[in-house]
Amino acid sequence: MPFTATPIVAGDAFDQASRIGEEVDRQLALIDDPAGQHACLRRHWDSLASLGWLAVAMPEEAGGAGGTLSDLAALAGGAGRGGLPLPIASACGVIPYLLADQPALLPGLAEGQHRIVFIPAEAAVDDTTDVPRLAPDGSLTGAVVGIETPPDPTHLLLVLAGAEPALLLLPADAPGISARHYLRIDGRPSADWRFTGVAVEPGWILGRGEAVARRAAEARDLGALLTCVEAVSAAGALLEQTIDYLLNRMQFGVALASHQALRHRVAEMYVEYENLRGLVLQALRAAGAGDGMPWREIAFAKLRLGEAGRFIAQSAIQCHGGMGMTEALPAIRLARRIMMAEFEFGDRTFHAQRLLEAGRRAA
Amino acid sequence: MSAAIDYEAFRTEVRAFAETRCPPEIRAVVATYRKLSRKVWYPWQRILFEHGWGAPGWPKQYGGTGWDLKQRHIFDEVMAECDCPPQYHHGLRHIGPVIIEYGSEEQKGRFLPGILSGEDWWCQGYSEPGAGSDLASLRTAARREGDEYVVEGQKTWTSHAHEADWMYTLVRTSKEAKKQQGISLLLIPLNAPGITIRPIRTIDGWHHVNEVFLDQVRVPVANRVGEEGGGWTYGKFLLERERLGGANVAPALRNLQRTRELLARELGGERHRLKRAMLEERLLLAEAELRGAQALGQEAIAAVMEGRPLGLLPSVLKLGTSVTFQHVAEVALDAVGERLAPRFRPTDAAGPNAEAPGIEWVQNYMYSRVRTIYGGSSEVQKNVIAKQLFGS
Ligand SMILES: Cc1cc2nc3c(=O)[nH]c(=O)nc-3n(C[C@H](O)[C@H](O)[C@H](O)COP(=O)(O)OP(=O)(O)OC[C@H]3O[C@@H](n4cnc5c(N)ncnc54)[C@H](O)[C@@H]3O)c2cc1C
Repeated sequence: MPFTATPIVAGDAFDQASRIGEEVDRQLALIDDPAGQHACLRRHWDSLASLGWLAVAMPEEAGGAGGTLSDLAALAGGAGRGGLPLPIASACGVIPYLLADQPALLPGLAEGQHRIVFIPAEAAVDDTTDVPRLAPDGSLTGAVVGIETPPDPTHLLLVLAGAEPALLLLPADAPGISARHYLRIDGRPSADWRFTGVAVEPGWILGRGEAVARRAAEARDLGALLTCVEAVSAAGALLEQTIDYLLNRMQFGVALASHQALRHRVAEMYVEYENLRGLVLQALRAAGAGDGMPWREIAFAKLRLGEAGRFIAQSAIQCHGGMGMTEALPAIRLARRIMMAEFEFGDRTFHAQRLLEAGRRAA
Repeated sequence: MSAAIDYEAFRTEVRAFAETRCPPEIRAVVATYRKLSRKVWYPWQRILFEHGWGAPGWPKQYGGTGWDLKQRHIFDEVMAECDCPPQYHHGLRHIGPVIIEYGSEEQKGRFLPGILSGEDWWCQGYSEPGAGSDLASLRTAARREGDEYVVEGQKTWTSHAHEADWMYTLVRTSKEAKKQQGISLLLIPLNAPGITIRPIRTIDGWHHVNEVFLDQVRVPVANRVGEEGGGWTYGKFLLERERLGGANVAPALRNLQRTRELLARELGGERHRLKRAMLEERLLLAEAELRGAQALGQEAIAAVMEGRPLGLLPSVLKLGTSVTFQHVAEVALDAVGERLAPRFRPTDAAGPNAEAPGIEWVQNYMYSRVRTIYGGSSEVQKNVIAKQLFGS
């Protein structure tokens, strides 16, 4: 029996999420035009909301399921395995985490009427503009680029860093906000946002000060952790599919799987995968055990994802030969997704730097 | 002979030509890793052709320069250093030399001038869905009917088929012989009835390659190069000639230099100190490897010029340089990834990537994965090397 990956968190939620992910990936591959793909993503988003995914981590009092981190990880893992190109980490994890003390907002979020974009303080800014800033007169100016979004976003949840950190929830159609929407290379809806003198109403400011910055940093680490769960699950599926390809592809009258060079490469992929899985599982346990986020464990996991994830993705491409260079196979779409995951919620040097600085402070 | 050539003067001459005659907009395409298409290549080939440098590798009697191997190498090096496009290879480096060696006089007169001037664009129809590394198992069949072949089958991964006029194609003309012996080389016009070309999207979202379907395509027997059943030999001749391709490390070094400039531009300031230091070290290690490869490349050229066997050098160069090129592409990705990877999108979808300056580094990284797959995959190169080393 060839290898089957063990889920990080198994169960019905994982199975459901991976089934949906595979279904969406399959449907999207058959649609050519971006508008059609967008419509397909929107349809599935609504159905995820009605299945209760967005409410998994919300308290029961607010209409949520009162789930744990483990429930979130089941969803993120299944979505990763299936290659679901939607921002599950932020929609199910980061955003509910940041809005936990906003009972008025949660039901709309849980039921899917609010489709919120998360814009972290570290969001990329293009050369010609500046990071978003709140002027003393309450107007917001700046721009961010390459932000993953739910389909047809209704709100932006924006973290402002700097001298006075703040958490803002803006209606996406507020005057002065403009967006350019697109699907990025791994099929995820994304947008560039520009704020030109947006008149921020007092009610849109959800919090200010150091506490906001701390909470936002924790939310980012939660996002990083869920992204690791997603990517490691994608890697497990990728490993299975690579093995399957090698068992079935014949050259020189034999299956590619008979060549030791390829078998060893797959064995190396497996070692990297297991190692990463161990690390992610440990971070997940640590996060479930205490208050706040175990940033150190998460930083190590994300650092490892950069190395191991890329190795696994590149090896899978290599083993597939020319087919590895195309978008035709789900395996290669997973490989590309794993490559992209490295750059979300801090890349490997971002997390390496945190670890080194903490080490220096301790010394 | 070669002792009389002043190579340094030659280098200077080539550089002056490249710098003054290669249009800046063409060099910009190379420098920013945009797609080299026929539209970009053709005017450059035309300039070279009019200067008498259309075919550096061909003998003079066919319109070539008659340069020796070292001059050709210098030419390629300088072109890369100046961001001039490497000449489009399918005509000049692949099928042209095969026609010169094995083609009829009629074929030489008919095909070589168009290659030389850039009027005719060629692509290579070798690989098939079932025949990649094991190319000899190809199944596209050509059945003889009078003075025509009727060709039926499918090619895949055919680079440039969507902009080419001709495809030099390996086909099976006999199923009886040993599989290598039943193969012939046909020159097929791509506008022939029965040919369908379908794009394949690669992981970088670009259109580099195609599937080519051949449905009862009629090709005159006069378009067969050499003997029926000789196709494998001609294909191997072509590969032999290409074996020195890896000796030209200049494009990889130029790429490294551009990446170093990228780090300086992208990662200034205190916030990126660690990243910059880490990436600069990786670049330095890559540079050391490329310098080694460059030295080996010079050794390979000297060996050929002195009539010594090349041995494993071509495999060593291909294997090593392709991996180093990928390492450098990874360094660039790591430099820009957080800022640019999330903005990368399929080029022909909604909007152009051009809105995000620097995005080419993300595309370049993705496409660089092909280097260890085509032109003899790394695994196949290692098999070749190991077989020699172990004597079995
Ligand atoms: C972008 C691109 C452009 C191309 N352009 C052209 C073109 O213009 N014309 C053309 O004819 N072809 C072209 N090719 C095809 C290319 O030459 C083939 O992809 C290549 O020969 C590998 O064949 P394959 O894809 O069938 O992979 P496979 O042969 O199926 O190989 C899959 C994997 O198995 C490994 N493998 C195979 N055999 C062995 C072995 N014996 N031992 C150990 N490992 C092994 C390979 O190294 C690879 O990792 C192109 C390919 C790409 C991706």
